[in-house]
Amino acid sequence: MVIRSKKIAQMAENLAAHEMGESHSLWADARRRFFKNKAAVISLVVLTLIVAFAFLAPYFTKWSNEEIDWAILGSVAEDGKPSFARGHYFGADPLGRDLFARVAQGTQISLMVGFVGAFIAVIVGTLYGAIAGYFGGRIDNIMMRIVDILMSIPYMFVLILLLVVFGRSIFMLFVGLGLISWLDMSRIVRGQTMVLKNKEFVEAAIAGGSTKFTIIVRHIIPNLVGIVIVYASLLVPAMILTESFISFLGLGVQEPNTSWGALISEGAGTVLYGTLWQLLFPLAFFVAGLFSFFFIGDGLRDALDPKDR
Amino acid sequence: MFRFIIKRLGIAIPTLLILIVFSFTLMHSAPGGPFTSERPLPPQVLANIEAKYGLDQPFYKQVTNYIVGIVTKGDFGPSFKYKDRTVNDIIAQGFPVTLKYGIWSFIIAVSVGISLGIVAAIKHNSIIDYFAVGFSIGAQVLPNFVMAPILVIIFTLWLGWLPGGGWNGGQWQYLIMPIIALSTSYMASIARIMRSSMLEVLNSNYIRTAKAKGLSNRQIIFKHALKPALLPVITYLGPAFVGMITGSVVIDMYFSTGGIGQMFVNSALNRDYSVIMGITILIGVLTIAFNLVVDILYAWIDPKIRY
Repeated sequence: MVIRSKKIAQMAENLAAHEMGESHSLWADARRRFFKNKAAVISLVVLTLIVAFAFLAPYFTKWSNEEIDWAILGSVAEDGKPSFARGHYFGADPLGRDLFARVAQGTQISLMVGFVGAFIAVIVGTLYGAIAGYFGGRIDNIMMRIVDILMSIPYMFVLILLLVVFGRSIFMLFVGLGLISWLDMSRIVRGQTMVLKNKEFVEAAIAGGSTKFTIIVRHIIPNLVGIVIVYASLLVPAMILTESFISFLGLGVQEPNTSWGALISEGAGTVLYGTLWQLLFPLAFFVAGLFSFFFIGDGLRDALDPKDR
Repeated sequence: MFRFIIKRLGIAIPTLLILIVFSFTLMHSAPGGPFTSERPLPPQVLANIEAKYGLDQPFYKQVTNYIVGIVTKGDFGPSFKYKDRTVNDIIAQGFPVTLKYGIWSFIIAVSVGISLGIVAAIKHNSIIDYFAVGFSIGAQVLPNFVMAPILVIIFTLWLGWLPGGGWNGGQWQYLIMPIIALSTSYMASIARIMRSSMLEVLNSNYIRTAKAKGLSNRQIIFKHALKPALLPVITYLGPAFVGMITGSVVIDMYFSTGGIGQMFVNSALNRDYSVIMGITILIGVLTIAFNLVVDILYAWIDPKIRY
């Protein structure tokens, strides 16, 4: 005789549900973990808003980022305050340009620097690290010694030197950031590759007659994606910080372009005249942007870090 | 230990050489010489000036002369813009300033950061722990160039307590804001690292044994937990040092303290190549020397490390 009870039925249902849960892929699992993390989700929303602001703001103001409002030029400290009546939602900058449009432009450029810098780091760092880690031995030794040497150079000074010698432009900034940003990435990737290369699937690929290049590109690198994404997400704010630092010194992004760092620098220079909005609006975007990147990075790490599984 | 130091030096010296050769090459390959101006000089005059600074010699000779000058006499050569001053003069003028607030910032960041981290770990999940966590998260987005203007708004514009810049022989009023601006984010990072490593150590088995033995809390923390918990902090000291040296550029620029950072940026804007190079090399030497000290300290504290 079979005792049928609610409890057992419930259990059976749970089991079935559990089995269905098993079929979740790695990525679905990671996504679920990421969306459980409140700080990361909020940050994602904030970041989306910032990106939307960067690209949509120019349509909501009658001022462009280059136009000078001659009516207030001589008296920016009094008349340049944030005001809806004049159409300067964030006020005006020291030259009488609309800060709202300038912040939007600066946000675009800062975000671009962050993403392009991280992208270069991902490509170069992953390949370099994977090659060093997979080949090992003397090649690894030489390649990592080079990284050691490059890492102990005070890069900010070299970067400034580079900008001075070859002219200050966004392109040179990318070259400079690209030169240094991949170092950490290559170390992390190398470590991970050394673990992966002794796994069975690599052995299988070797037995199957794959070339070393194929193994690295087809078998090793796809397995590094998680760690690379996590690290890249932390690289984006790091790149933005570096760029802002250089722009703050007046050596980075040049007029008429601007970035968060350049705007903060501009605002910081006029703080004593009481034009606080010129500092606080770019600063708010900078802080909110970096915060969201850090929290998203944290969330991704929790979601993708193999250690947690 | 001796072999370890030799081995580390074996990396340090080539690093320096690469830094020198790299920056020298960069400087050399710059379009337009240091004496190119709006009004071109007569060729004879230009040739004379170039001969004076040794710019007419072949490239490899210039590099070797430069390196030999630095190694044997500690001579970084003349400034290209200020005819009556050498790079050494300029560095000698700015470096003490940077050193003064730099050392204070470093000491404060390390000591306050470590203490805050320890207290937060001991009083886990208390108000002070939450404060430490909040502080270390918040300070991540408050680098020196954000801190500096905020401090000026608070202490100069609103409260009127401190001067908004200048150096004035390094009086304390002029030191406070540079030190706070420079040390805050590193203090926060050190506190975070210290807290998490202390928590890990305090949860380990040998600390439980020490507790079971009936040792006092003070003995457990200072005799057994502190040393191993310090290791990650020591690893971080190298990057923190580099970060602070780099940050001193912002401090010098924003507070007009007149340290080497200000000279670096000014000469960068003036294209005074020999000064830029001199400062870059000086910073390089400092960084590499400091990293060496950190490595040795690490090897000394951690018996597990092999050399």
